Amino acid sequence: MSFCSQPFRAAAVALAAAAVLAPISLLAQGNTTSSSLSSSSERWLHVRVVNTDDKNETVKVNVPLEFAEKVLPAINKNELHDGKLRINHSDMNGVDIKTLLDAIRTSKDGEFVTVQCPDANVRVAKQSGFMLVHVTEKATSSKNGKPVEKSRVEVKVPMKVVDALFSAGKDELDLVAALKALSVNGDTELVSVKSDDATVHVWLDSKNISD
Amino acid sequence: MMILAKLAVGTATTLALATVYTFREGTVRVDVDEHHDGGTHVHVWAPAAVVPMALHFVPDRNLQQVCQHSEEWAPLARIAAHELSRYPNTTFVEVEDGEQHVKVSTVGSKIQVDVDGPDENIHVAVPLVMIDDVISQLQARQPAA
Repeated sequence: MSFCSQPFRAAAVALAAAAVLAPISLLAQGNTTSSSLSSSSERWLHVRVVNTDDKNETVKVNVPLEFAEKVLPAINKNELHDGKLRINHSDMNGVDIKTLLDAIRTSKDGEFVTVQCPDANVRVAKQSGFMLVHVTEKATSSKNGKPVEKSRVEVKVPMKVVDALFSAGKDELDLVAALKALSVNGDTELVSVKSDDATVHVWLDSKNISD
Repeated sequence: MMILAKLAVGTATTLALATVYTFREGTVRVDVDEHHDGGTHVHVWAPAAVVPMALHFVPDRNLQQVCQHSEEWAPLARIAAHELSRYPNTTFVEVEDGEQHVKVSTVGSKIQVDVDGPDENIHVAVPLVMIDDVISQLQARQPAA
């Protein structure tokens, strides 16, 4: 059989083409797998900070919860280890936060803390399986001397996430457990801060973009 | 004539396979453009497979500092690179500050960092697979305790 015969040439061309295209097809397969993995079941944590000063600075962070769950345990630095954060009791001003949250968890829906003073209103409540914290900071208007809203902070955290967060032990916050608990929740606005010069939003949904 | 044809086919096949092998991990791209008189303009486009190979030729003393603390960041970088490959074409961090724009994203199987500012533009794209290879190289070069 001649080297230049038709079947030999066809086989050689096919072999060369297969060798060249194999990595491309593997890459394509890899991308298909990746695309299907980032399906609607994927939960994304979004953070958006808009600074309303002259430069109009914007920070957008989009993190898949599963990514955070995998990466956090690999960070072992300072107070963070194995996905858990050590609490420094000297920073808590003598407040036993675990006992406090235990009391909130076991009680019925309602308001637990309501503080109304000239410069701020604080409200801590439990409602439909969520822990709500609302803080409104007030300032005196220079025009009429009446109090006006300076900033508003609204935090809405599912109680299951709070439970998971404090499931590690007395002196630790289990961040990975909290992320796992968070991932089973639907679309939720977790933190909203509105002030004169900035707005902050932290929310959870199934989209990989924040717009 | 026949020998020449065989040689040509052999060379072409070897070249094709070498090209496939070299580019199997994609390419590394680094673009730096400084917008001032005499500013630097660096444009590097290289096969990613070359980078771990090139590390073999870096003297030990130059890698010592990087290797010294690799046990702290290497597992994190490895996990992050592996996990990021599951999210192609995603923007993870984006910061806009008037004239400056910073973006960290995945584009296909690469991690890409783009910095566009009034003074300079920097664009770096690195295949995620390469990160794992580089870490393995660095850990292998770590001096024994």
